[in-house]
Amino acid sequence: MTPFHDYFGISWYIYLLIWSFIAVGAHVYQVGFIVKLIRLGKDDDRFNSWKQRMKEFLTDWLGQRKVVEDKVAGYAHALIFWGFLMLVSDVIDLGTGGLFAEFLGMIFLDNIWNLIVDIGYLMAGVGILAALYRRLIIRPEKLKGTSMEGVLILFAIFGIVITAFIVEAGYMLGEGAHYNNWEPIGVLFAKQMQNIDSATLQTIVDISYWAHMILIGGFLIEIPQTKHSHLIGTIPNVMFQDHDEMGTMTPMQVDENDIAVKTDDLDFEKLTLGVNKFEDFTWRQLSDGWACTACARCQDVCPAYNSGKTLNPMQIIMDVKNYGKEHGNLLLAGEAPDETIVDRFTPDAIWACTTCYACVSACPVHIEHVPKLTDTRRHLVMEASVFPEELQNLFNNLERNSNPWGIGAHKRADWAEGLDIKIGEPAEYLFYVGCAGSFDERNKNVSRATAKLLKKAGVDFSILGEMEMCNGDPARRAGNEFLFQMMAEMNVDSMNSLGTLKVITACPHCFHTIGKEYEKYGGKYEVYHHSQVLNELRQKEKLKIKNFEDKVTFHDPCYLGRIGGETEAPREAIGGDLIEMERSREKSFCCGGGGAQIWMEEDADKRVNEIRAKEAVNTGADCVAVGCPFCMTMMSDGLKTLGEEQKTVKDISEIMLENLEV
Amino acid sequence: MNIAVLIKMVPDTESKLEVNDGKLSDQNFKYMVNPYDEFAVEQAVQFKEAEGGKVTLLTLFSEDNSIDTDLRKMLAIGADEIIALRQNEYKGDKPLANAKILSDAIKELDVDLILCGIQGIDYYQAATGTMVAQMLDIPNISGVTKLEYNNGTLKAKRQIEGGLQTIETSTPALITCQKDMNKVRFPALKDIMMSKRKPFTNKTVESVESNDIKTSESSLPPARDGGEIIEGETAEEKVNKLIEKLKMEAKVI
Repeated sequence: MTPFHDYFGISWYIYLLIWSFIAVGAHVYQVGFIVKLIRLGKDDDRFNSWKQRMKEFLTDWLGQRKVVEDKVAGYAHALIFWGFLMLVSDVIDLGTGGLFAEFLGMIFLDNIWNLIVDIGYLMAGVGILAALYRRLIIRPEKLKGTSMEGVLILFAIFGIVITAFIVEAGYMLGEGAHYNNWEPIGVLFAKQMQNIDSATLQTIVDISYWAHMILIGGFLIEIPQTKHSHLIGTIPNVMFQDHDEMGTMTPMQVDENDIAVKTDDLDFEKLTLGVNKFEDFTWRQLSDGWACTACARCQDVCPAYNSGKTLNPMQIIMDVKNYGKEHGNLLLAGEAPDETIVDRFTPDAIWACTTCYACVSACPVHIEHVPKLTDTRRHLVMEASVFPEELQNLFNNLERNSNPWGIGAHKRADWAEGLDIKIGEPAEYLFYVGCAGSFDERNKNVSRATAKLLKKAGVDFSILGEMEMCNGDPARRAGNEFLFQMMAEMNVDSMNSLGTLKVITACPHCFHTIGKEYEKYGGKYEVYHHSQVLNELRQKEKLKIKNFEDKVTFHDPCYLGRIGGETEAPREAIGGDLIEMERSREKSFCCGGGGAQIWMEEDADKRVNEIRAKEAVNTGADCVAVGCPFCMTMMSDGLKTLGEEQKTVKDISEIMLENLEV
Repeated sequence: MNIAVLIKMVPDTESKLEVNDGKLSDQNFKYMVNPYDEFAVEQAVQFKEAEGGKVTLLTLFSEDNSIDTDLRKMLAIGADEIIALRQNEYKGDKPLANAKILSDAIKELDVDLILCGIQGIDYYQAATGTMVAQMLDIPNISGVTKLEYNNGTLKAKRQIEGGLQTIETSTPALITCQKDMNKVRFPALKDIMMSKRKPFTNKTVESVESNDIKTSESSLPPARDGGEIIEGETAEEKVNKLIEKLKMEAKVI
């Protein structure tokens, strides 16, 4: 019994053709509009490393690698996704009145195909039920207040699944029909339906068939309009994911070898400084908007959002898409809407980001949130000159005395007095102390502890002394790319003139910037976080460190752990039984200091460091170990605000020095 | 309205201070634009934006130190031109001699208004600007916190002990600017780049005879004692110890 017959004297095929024409046409038209919008973006050549890209596509897109990290929603999604991939060809069969299956029968593939489709529908059905259970019964906090769109769509696609089984069962009933065991779920349905009289059965099958086709067509029309655009948008997003190291920003202008054009040679006529207009983004930044599924994982891990600030990384991505949609016709006509991207994001949100990359790292479809914010910062600083007042001091201080506090550059090596350290001489390692380690009283102690340990182990190292400058990270993350580049160029000159090959630093921001970003400015070095070098010395027993009894928890700095990829060396360097915080290693929660936040005012009731300090207190540890001067400050302040100042905050090197066997 | 702004290049506040035999060593000094003069530049640029005209920066400095980078920033925030008078024996603590040279140079410019900071943060004499006004025989208002211009008339507000004074004068006049007169803008990168193309003229000038004052000796403030940190188990104990000490040792309560 099939639905393929005349209705009101007109062949079913005519109805289907008309409906397909409408649905497919509307779908293609809308997708075309989106593609045109995305193509307004600037070039970003990611059409390389195809082998790696295919592999990533298979694991991340097809394999749902990051999607399933969230157990309930992730596996529900994976089931629906894989299910629909398996069943999608059934649309062709139903659309051709079974000709597709007949064709497959000629090459003996019909049975296996039937089974695959049947299992596909089953998987999708199970996944949909799990997703509905999550949305309607579990109701996670982050889903509260969201629209019913998600639930409606789930019901709609559940309808697609059920109607498919009914139509399948219809095939197996009626005159001359038999149960097709290659469609086991269809058989189950057929058994339930076998006692229905044939007229009623025909009506049920007909209604199911048309409901099925209407839902699929409707879904096609709906896809480009809502978050379901991710069905298509994730394909370029995952395929052309960022192959640069996490957290590395792009220079203002690069030459044909992808090396930054020197500040003196920059061509300001051709340069766009940051992003203010839709088309200032690259095509890949724009495609993020249509890849977003609103799963809110970025929102869950964002320190700014979780401390009550205006920034929500998911909203930023939505903003890109909605801005494009709302102003689409104007944009495509080459005109500029009154509202800019900065207006849409809002400056408050733009300035709240700590550039911790938790959002980027959590996103299952490789959306790049942080560069959107740092790019708009570039516009605000270098073009509009509108930015938080505190940053003007920061920039002036960096320019005049090459440190964020503006303390006299001649005091940079004062911490090293009496330690007999080589200054400005060639050595195996350059100890790049950084500003906090050079000027901040608390962090000077870390520099001293590190230097003492290195000397004790007989490591040959020197410091740059007064020649050292800030690596430029705060200027760069705060949008002053020009200042960053000037500082990077000067630092590279100093380091190269010393013949530097290997660098040690106790600051993850120096570690990241010098190690991963200086290459484009002519500085290629092996850069080690001090914990890596000190741990190796410990493992080789060049430093004998006692195991200690104190209860210690380690707070992973973002630019060392998640962004730097080093989570074990600091733990092994400290030794002892560490108590882990709930969020640790790559999933560590920012202290609130990154992205130049430490130089900006933070509302007293919205402090990131208090959230993290609370997590540290919850472990019951007496000491919070850190590996970053800014974490040192933020965690100490956070503990103080919580009234937990009896708990100590110590750098890895300080703990090692205290437990050094003499 | 054409405006001249007098700029003094002063040692960076974070420069290392060394005194040898009662003489201040300027060996390692890095120089920056006197912060009070930055308010004057900002004010001049605001007037130019409202009224049109030109802002000329005039500075007097020794020949051997480089001052271009920091001075050019003033062009980036909107001034049009720099005339740097370079003098071999230049000293920042000779207001009379410096005022003579500056006023002679101003006479060659056609300006309606002269602005400068109230004082240099090197010697804090607050003398040069006022002296220049005297030599040019034009009105002078010093320590202005708010300045308005309307049809040839300047209206200046000054903060005086316990109150606010408003003074009016016609142009040309010389105004010395107090801090917080305005917020000095941060130049956009485009303006920084454009500033490299603006005229920057160095002119050598001879020193002039003058019956000027002379610094006879410089010394650093005496080093402070380390102070004392009061130890104690509880805050209460520490406070009690502090009260005890304030009573018995410092005898202040």
